[in-house]
Amino acid sequence: MRIPILKLHNYLLISIQIDLDDQSAIQFQEDLLNKIYKSGATGVVIDLTSVDIIDSFIAKVLGDVVTMSDLMGAKVVLTGIQPAVAMTLIELGIHMQDVQTALDLEQGLIKLRQELEG
Amino acid sequence: MPKRVDRIVLDNSDVIIKNWLKIVSENRQNDYTSSISDELFQSTNREFVNVIFDSLASGGGLTKELESFSERLVNLGWPLSYLTDGLQTFRRVTIDFVLSQHDQIDTDFFSVILDRVDTWVDPIINKLVNEYSGSWEHTVSLQRVALQELSAPLIPVMRNITIMPLIGTIDTERAKQIMENLLTGVIKHNAEVVLIDITGVPVVDTMVAHHIIQAAEAVRLIGAKCILVGIRPEIAQTIVNLGIDLGKFPTKSSLRKGFETALELTGRTIQREKKQETIVEDIMNQLTEG
Amino acid sequence: MELKPCVNIRQEWDIVGARQLGREKAKELGFGTVDQARIATAISELARNIYLYAGIGKVYFEMVDHLGKKGLKIVAVDEGPGIRDLSQVMQDGYSTSGGLGAGLPGVKRLMDTFEINSEWGEGTEISAVKWVR
Repeated sequence: MRIPILKLHNYLLISIQIDLDDQSAIQFQEDLLNKIYKSGATGVVIDLTSVDIIDSFIAKVLGDVVTMSDLMGAKVVLTGIQPAVAMTLIELGIHMQDVQTALDLEQGLIKLRQELEG
Repeated sequence: MPKRVDRIVLDNSDVIIKNWLKIVSENRQNDYTSSISDELFQSTNREFVNVIFDSLASGGGLTKELESFSERLVNLGWPLSYLTDGLQTFRRVTIDFVLSQHDQIDTDFFSVILDRVDTWVDPIINKLVNEYSGSWEHTVSLQRVALQELSAPLIPVMRNITIMPLIGTIDTERAKQIMENLLTGVIKHNAEVVLIDITGVPVVDTMVAHHIIQAAEAVRLIGAKCILVGIRPEIAQTIVNLGIDLGKFPTKSSLRKGFETALELTGRTIQREKKQETIVEDIMNQLTEG
Repeated sequence: MELKPCVNIRQEWDIVGARQLGREKAKELGFGTVDQARIATAISELARNIYLYAGIGKVYFEMVDHLGKKGLKIVAVDEGPGIRDLSQVMQDGYSTSGGLGAGLPGVKRLMDTFEINSEWGEGTEISAVKWVR
């Protein structure tokens, strides 16, 4: 199952709406990096509103994708992490220290814009 | 033979009651009922012993009267030991009295007496203890619910800014509850900044600090900012002495300062419409002109 | 004996299957959404460990009842290589597979009880319980 990546000006928008298995997560990582390379996007919003579980593996893939995108010159913001997911991650001991977050897609875009222009 | 014991006791109820009242009043000296007036204490004693004898007359065990009497005392907040001590005294007084009626007693009769008196007193004590502990358990469970309700309110004070005042001791169970309320509240109110006010938390040890840090990190994950406010001097001291690192998120000594930071973070500033000094100046000018 | 719901872990997709079944069971038992996420995540970690280190194993679920308290027990069993040093795997940040090393200590924090039995060369059995609040 492939996750669609939408382009809007120089932003890429992704809404993850499936229960991520390991293979799809890695596929997504690859697809996103390729898309950044091809489109030259400078900002990425990954919306996790409909994701109801993130385990240590998915967290690692997401953390990696943020670092990798950064290397390629694209800032990533994760949005819409559910309270239950956030609590579970913290209890697992995963803090995602270097990852930018925002409440929703709108706030995420505002944050990206501030970062890229300010 | 048991009937004989019954008859002796019932026929001599006056003497037994007199002895019982005397002992109970004597015991009162060093006692939990000292806040109760003498009058009330005496009348309650009389009522108590009457219900006991009513119960005996009707063949022992628990009667409606005894039940409503104990229920009333529970509600009035009389200590359980008043009732149990009273019944133990009754046991002793009654046995002493029955024994004193006989010059010679064989062991069989002695055990009959003990047995008979026990079958009066024990079921009553058991029932009373159950009643009391039931009422305590009820109170405790009510209080637990009450505690949960006051656990952690989240107050939206302005668009995108909410405040969570924490009050009282924080244990692991409560910390989880607080975190849940905090996170769902942030989503519900669409808060960009949350102020956690710990003015009302008496002690901040490593465990409490750990829970607060976890909550702040979870808030960051869902996309909002957390400011810890209400850090009193002694709390700042313990935090540093315990080696707790709160460096990752902003802290402020008072809610007011924290709120100012929150305004800054959401792109707002406070402006007074007219400075007080200029108002005073205006008045002075008016006066001199007039 | 009551048949326990069970998921065999043979391929990566079974990890998703296991946590979905676990979440369903947790919901049936009356766990709140946060606890459901905790349980599902714990199952995901345990199932992934089986897939990564033992290759084949199973995860099963059990409704437990202790003094009127209801709970869900997760048991993950495999006949893989076992764990050489138990204290090491319970350390935060320890990983032999390049992961985050949050797996087992994380599961312990997510659940209420946690028990691990492992014999080097004989396989591993991990059981953990979450009580309904």
